[in-house]
Amino acid sequence: MTSLLEVKDLTMRFGGLTAVDTLNFKVEKGTIHGLIGPNGAGKTTTFNMISGFYTPSAGEVLLRGENIAGLPMHEVARRGVVRTFQHSTLFAELTVLENALVGTHMPFRPNLFAAIFGWDKDARNGAEARAREALTFFGLADVGHEHAGDLSHGHQRALGMAVAYASHPDIVLLDEPFTGMNPEETKHMMGLMKQLCSDGITILLVEHDMQAIMGLCDNITCMSFGKFLAEGGPAEIRNHPAVIEAYLGGARHVA
Amino acid sequence: MRNIFIWTVIAAILFALPNLLSFSQQEVLVFLTINILVVASYRLLTLTGEWSLGHVVIMGVGAYASAMLTKSSGLYVPLGIVMGGVVAGLTALALSYPLFRMKGFYFLIGSFAAGEIIRLLWKRFREPFGGTKGIKGIDPMPDFSVGFYDFDFFEPTSYFYFSAIVVAICLWILWRIEKSPIGLTFQAVHWQDKLAQASGVNLRAYRTLAFVIASGFAGIAGALLAHYIGTINPNSFDVEVMVFVLTWAIVGGTSTFYGPILGCVVLTILNEVVLRELGLEQTRPLIYGLILILSILFMPNGLESIVQKFTRQKERRSLRPEEAK
Amino acid sequence: MIELLAQTGLNAVYAASYISLVAVGLVLIFGVMGVINFAHGELFMAGAYVVVALYAQRFVPFFIAVAAGLVFVGLLGLLMERALFRPLRDNPLGGLVASIGFLMILQALAVMGFGVRMEYIPPVTQEVIAFSDKVRLPISRLYVIIAAVVMLSLLWYFLKRTRFGWALRASAQDPQAAALQGISVTLTAKIAMFIGAGFAGLAGALTAPLVSVNPYMGHSIIVTAFIVIIVGGVGSLEGAVLASIVYAFVHTFVTTFYDGVIADITGLMLMLIVLIVKPTGLFGSADRA
Repeated sequence: MTSLLEVKDLTMRFGGLTAVDTLNFKVEKGTIHGLIGPNGAGKTTTFNMISGFYTPSAGEVLLRGENIAGLPMHEVARRGVVRTFQHSTLFAELTVLENALVGTHMPFRPNLFAAIFGWDKDARNGAEARAREALTFFGLADVGHEHAGDLSHGHQRALGMAVAYASHPDIVLLDEPFTGMNPEETKHMMGLMKQLCSDGITILLVEHDMQAIMGLCDNITCMSFGKFLAEGGPAEIRNHPAVIEAYLGGARHVA
Repeated sequence: MRNIFIWTVIAAILFALPNLLSFSQQEVLVFLTINILVVASYRLLTLTGEWSLGHVVIMGVGAYASAMLTKSSGLYVPLGIVMGGVVAGLTALALSYPLFRMKGFYFLIGSFAAGEIIRLLWKRFREPFGGTKGIKGIDPMPDFSVGFYDFDFFEPTSYFYFSAIVVAICLWILWRIEKSPIGLTFQAVHWQDKLAQASGVNLRAYRTLAFVIASGFAGIAGALLAHYIGTINPNSFDVEVMVFVLTWAIVGGTSTFYGPILGCVVLTILNEVVLRELGLEQTRPLIYGLILILSILFMPNGLESIVQKFTRQKERRSLRPEEAK
Repeated sequence: MIELLAQTGLNAVYAASYISLVAVGLVLIFGVMGVINFAHGELFMAGAYVVVALYAQRFVPFFIAVAAGLVFVGLLGLLMERALFRPLRDNPLGGLVASIGFLMILQALAVMGFGVRMEYIPPVTQEVIAFSDKVRLPISRLYVIIAAVVMLSLLWYFLKRTRFGWALRASAQDPQAAALQGISVTLTAKIAMFIGAGFAGLAGALTAPLVSVNPYMGHSIIVTAFIVIIVGGVGSLEGAVLASIVYAFVHTFVTTFYDGVIADITGLMLMLIVLIVKPTGLFGSADRA
């Protein structure tokens, strides 16, 4: 059986620097998979290659066996792989509801002539219902009319996920979803992610918050200096000598 | 119900308006009506965050297309005007392949270059474009009667009514597009193109769509102009006109649908009516330039920001009684 | 035929000289201030009118009039910096519009002061270097070439070898980092505006006796300058000079062998192709889009 997502010999070179070097790992359907490693390990670069933001220098990204490496980002998204971005990458000038509505672009594709003549009432209602559903799920139903740029940091992170969730993804790539959240928010968000997972959405995440990673993930891939280091369940990774070495030897202290 | 009332009043004012004006002011009114469509269509493109310097040339493409089609093949003028829009839209589609390899500043300059090339082609090829002298004796709109009103298109008033109806329909379509999921997607492309793309939006397709629609309506505006003034040449659509469109949009503000229209109306009245009436013919560009600088310095968000401030105050005032309960 | 080629080549060198003076100024302003100065062509025009006012009407020696043109237009640049670009530092589109407003004011002032008709400027010198019967270089054109070479060399020395030049380049690359390094953004902006505008004024003043001086002469030079800075790469001064030479040769030769409009089209096509293939320009690497 093929995995939902498989990364094969993935390599990214920037000039003379190899940011990711022949990386291999598999993400199984219905699991939460963590990608960890010290700063500069190439996690975000890996994310960018999977989501189509970068074209890999070499290697393959297999989605249900199909190679999607090098496809433009919207083509990757249309195949069910939807990502969030680091920091608060949102449509800050639009309202929270409008942000979520953009997320419904794929399930409810706009049509020019229907839009002019008002024949798209069903689609618009459907999109709005879906957007509100996504906002409610992430606890943003009350702030729908506010500008996304005015939200608190934790709410902005949640909205980033709501936009991704609104598009009915098969697999979401979360880039440091807990950054800027207080412990309570983190805990709440972890609960939501588990719920997403039990709804059949596969999650791949990059995160620095070790407690969150350990409490959340079924499987963890650890990388260091662009290379694969170790893989396994949380307990295995926690006690893996190479992982401990990488974190203690690296610049960043394990949180 | 209240809306219908407001629109009826506006229609009545527009109907009465030309009768209150002098002949030359009536002419200005026709140009103003056409320019409103130019600047409103320009805004649709700016929704995606791209600023073109070729919009006026594209408008000229519509003018040339309609003028040539009605002249050579005897096409009915209203159909020619529609075809002007179609040809302008198709031209934009063709231009979008090279132009949308660029963004931002590069698109601005690229669109300028593409526009200048088109203008130079008109200049260089007397067949079929008429060279520097352009096209003269363009068919006027044929007169017709709608029972209660006889359209006589040598009268600016008649042409004002006709163009006002055409422009109103176009504005309605532009408004519908802006307020639709398509308009929202345009804005998404503007504010965070990467996030929009991650949501499955094909950026290039949407940029092209906005460019083609905006150009199509600019083409209709150009055709309206051509059949009114009866003669067009490459200099009717040069950078100076583009600069005017740009300043209308920026002085008016581009965050609302009415902002650019407001800018167009206010600056046109200022430039064509007030300064002319004051007898400041020679210093007109000087004062216009000063106004431009002052408005961008002291009103960076455009005239619309003043309107927004006003309406917000009104909203607050109307809220107060309820709070008191 | 060879003589025709040689003569056209000389014409191209002359064109490259004044184009590069204008274009380098435009690049300098864009690099340091991040503003596209639409009024740059009118600064060129203003330089030409200084020569009209001083040399043609008041019989001031030509080179003093030219120097006055440089200084006067440089001061106009400082005025633009203070009145327009400094308050609009965070609003590049606003800077563009303001420069359009300034353009209209300069044009209107020229019309009011001198009228719209073409100005007659007596030739500075009738002397010609004759390489052969058909290959001739008027001395007045040689002045332009020499001035361009000298001024651009001075600028190059200033930018690469002095502390001010270093500060200027630093703030062109990264204004915030430069400010953190203790470089005064306002001071570098002033220097860039004075030099950038002054060069345009110099070019206008020097070429005044050789072209038709009128209030709308800035139009064609600004189009040329845009093409040149795009082809050369928007942030690159060396690129602007090289692109000026490329453009001047292409344009002059096409004008000689076909006609002026085809030459204009060729120039614009050249720019479009560069934009499509390498949007950062032939010689540029910094992306400021």
